[in-house]
Amino acid sequence: MKFFVYRYNPDVDTAPHMQEYDVEVTRGMMLRDALMEIKRQDEAFAFRHSCGEGVCGSDAVNVNGSNLLGCTTPVSELKEPVNVRPLPGRPVIRDLVVDMSQFYQQYRAVKPYLIHKDPLPEQEILQSPEDRDKLDGLYECIMCGCCSTACPSFWWNPDKFHGPQALLQAWRFLADSRDQATEERLDALEGPYKLYRCHSIMNCVEYCPKSLNPTKAIGKIKELMLKHSI
Amino acid sequence: MTLARRRFDALIIGAGGAGLNAALQLANANLRVAVVSKVFPTRSHTVAAQGGVNAALANVFEDNWHWHMFDTVKGSDYLGDQDAIEYMCREAIPTVYELEHNGVPFSRLDNGKIYQRAFGGQSQNFGGAQAARTCAAADRTGHAILHTLYQQNIRARTHFFDEYFGVELIRDSEGAILGALTLEIETGEPLLIEAKTTLLATGGCGQVFRTTSNAHINTGDGMAMALRAGVPLMDMEFFQFHPTGIAGRGMLITEGVRGEGGYLVNKDGERFMERYAPNAKDLASRDVVARAIVTEVKEGRGCGPNADHVLLKVDHLGEDIIAKRLPGIRESSKIFAGVDPAVEPIPVFPTAHYVMGGIPTDRLGHVVVPASDGSEQIVPGLYAAGECACVSVHGANRLGGNSLLDILVFGRAAGQQIIDHLKDDPEHKTMDETAVEQAVARLTRWEQPGEGISVRELRDEFRKVMEDHAGVFRTDDIMSEGVAKVKALREKLKDVRLGDQSKVFNTARIEALELENLIDIGMAIVLSALERKESRGAHSRPDYTERDDANWLKHSVYFKEGDRLDYKPVQTKPLTVDTFPPKPRVY
Amino acid sequence: MSRQASGLRAWALQRISAVYLGLYLIYMLGHLSFNAPETYEAWRAYVADPGVTIGMLLFVTALLIHAWVGIRDVLIDYIHPIMARVGLLSLFAIGFIACGLWFAKVVFLASVAA
Repeated sequence: MKFFVYRYNPDVDTAPHMQEYDVEVTRGMMLRDALMEIKRQDEAFAFRHSCGEGVCGSDAVNVNGSNLLGCTTPVSELKEPVNVRPLPGRPVIRDLVVDMSQFYQQYRAVKPYLIHKDPLPEQEILQSPEDRDKLDGLYECIMCGCCSTACPSFWWNPDKFHGPQALLQAWRFLADSRDQATEERLDALEGPYKLYRCHSIMNCVEYCPKSLNPTKAIGKIKELMLKHSI
Repeated sequence: MTLARRRFDALIIGAGGAGLNAALQLANANLRVAVVSKVFPTRSHTVAAQGGVNAALANVFEDNWHWHMFDTVKGSDYLGDQDAIEYMCREAIPTVYELEHNGVPFSRLDNGKIYQRAFGGQSQNFGGAQAARTCAAADRTGHAILHTLYQQNIRARTHFFDEYFGVELIRDSEGAILGALTLEIETGEPLLIEAKTTLLATGGCGQVFRTTSNAHINTGDGMAMALRAGVPLMDMEFFQFHPTGIAGRGMLITEGVRGEGGYLVNKDGERFMERYAPNAKDLASRDVVARAIVTEVKEGRGCGPNADHVLLKVDHLGEDIIAKRLPGIRESSKIFAGVDPAVEPIPVFPTAHYVMGGIPTDRLGHVVVPASDGSEQIVPGLYAAGECACVSVHGANRLGGNSLLDILVFGRAAGQQIIDHLKDDPEHKTMDETAVEQAVARLTRWEQPGEGISVRELRDEFRKVMEDHAGVFRTDDIMSEGVAKVKALREKLKDVRLGDQSKVFNTARIEALELENLIDIGMAIVLSALERKESRGAHSRPDYTERDDANWLKHSVYFKEGDRLDYKPVQTKPLTVDTFPPKPRVY
Repeated sequence: MSRQASGLRAWALQRISAVYLGLYLIYMLGHLSFNAPETYEAWRAYVADPGVTIGMLLFVTALLIHAWVGIRDVLIDYIHPIMARVGLLSLFAIGFIACGLWFAKVVFLASVAA
């Protein structure tokens, strides 16, 4: 199978280029396996990967124009030739490795941690199964970055717009019956940038490898904000 | 070349559950703590833990920590230290509550309490009815815990060095650890971090085997760093093979699947675990189930065209339970095995999963060099916690749900110890420049130009050797050959060369450093295994089929220098309760 | 324009104005297809009806608000140099206000003449 892989090593290259590789496809081969095979052929090729089962979120790449996880994408589902590029919109460090620091910064900016102000009980804070169900589809995020780097609004304003990943997490805590910082969280999301750069383009929903729905979460935040302002 | 240097009160290498829980204690105490991780923290392998964390909360059935302790001692095949086990089982309860308070989205029972599921090796009343002790967030408990701990560290403003590789500990002539040499992966530049205390929390080393549930990053870096700093590794022959990896691929299918009511069948559709463990059946201890599966396949009752696996049947649980309690497993099965467990059984086979051994520590997280007379000498400035450490609470076999518990309890304990140590505000010791030079030499070694064997080639060869010679069943012949082969590979390391000498994000260089680590650990595993002439827990020898408490109720201790083995007695005396004396282990 | 309000308020105004625009357009289309004024005088008389006048003024206000939020979004997305953005925003603001005033004048004159 033919692969064209984006290559750029700042130590030796003046400009990026696409390099061709031939990989023999084995049964059940995932894209990550193919990339590892390419690394066997060419030690200098760099990409991030770790768990190999879609939970660590290291190996998000752009393939034939779509963001996806290498380890959960069977090569048999890909159209040949396979064009593998780094995630769009992020500065390239080397080959498929991009600088995700702005993405992480936006995550940190939404205060992604539980804030419980009442004195803590000796045992667990009680939560009904129904309330717990509200966190399904939110907490599973693996921070791979497929969504935010597919979001045009994040491309244009990565320094100011939180992006779908961080906003999904903002809603994860707003939706948690144990969290007691709703007002502060909503206030912090005000303004034209952090939340409202989302124009419901829904690339995030299309590319999330865990089938999560940031657009829906963003809608819920807006709804809650409106309710609180009335 | 001038070496960049930074100073911190505490250095933590590794940002999985143990490292992050320790960091959280330190950051909350306003200490200057640096967390070095070779991957962004939420990529650490804690993220892949599925089933849950054990604590006798008694939310489902009656339970208490003493029963939990009994199960753990029995599960360890009596090799676990009972003082540490008591400590862990008692601490489990406040630890899980603290996690919940920190935000972990545990699944819930109707009364609003944390959901607990049944797991292997759990009993009520010292070997009675099945207990339900494993606190779960669906089948993504590790993910939920790791993310929560990272989030809390964001709140506490912990200082992270993301994508820095721990190269070598700096040890002065008196044996104290002064920090570590690290490598910034993005720039390829070394950074010396001086610290009053250093905590190793680098996780496991499953990458020594070819088929493993472990991630690419699980290369035992901390263990190997300790070895090279003169610290031994303890009980390395005890490597857990998880019974249910996806056949041929190794991805994990949690024990929680059997806890929810799934069971194993062979090609005749027989529920074979009934023969091996009449009472606990599919929820027997992991070593028991793994051996049963291998035996079924060896005796020709395997499934599939090559008769090389068995089947895990789940569909009878119904769509609802599977969707609610096992959504991640369903996803993985579909992707990697091509089956929907709600319709078809999952093909499974044991996969290398967890190392019970590691850097010897006391129950407070101090790294100790054990002597054969039972005394222990603390290595000043060095702590270890998590899978890389051996407290030892898992002994010869770890129970499911006890690994998340181990990393959390002992990560926290180590954090508290470091706080205590730093209370008196000790000075930074003078840096030992000779030791720094030696550490830097480990990096410059890979700058040798010229042709040679490739890292990849040797890594592949080594992992195959380990799989063939240190797998589930171990005989003297097989392992002697293994020792010889690993020694030969260690020699060959000298001839390995890096073709790519560039600096920026050179993953080949990182893999070269990891390979050195893997081979050092591989040697510890095969040598310790060869010498232990009994069958205990995960260490199963066809040539010595029985457990031999008279001669072998002791920990193996491997030193890198001279490939020396030593032994240390098991601590059979708990902290407050009576000893659980060794008994035949039946499930 | 207070920074605090310009997220939620702009978003809400855009949606409320859209609802009005939608309803008004349906009404207008219906009116034009079944009951269209046939002469210039009929048109003037129709526009001079106070209900219609208010409806139309509201329509143009909603249209301009809607367009303003939309244009503002586009400029925030794409025009990053602050001077260029402020310049363009001012240009559009002046243009929109002028449009609004001109329309108000048209409708006002229609009612006076009637």
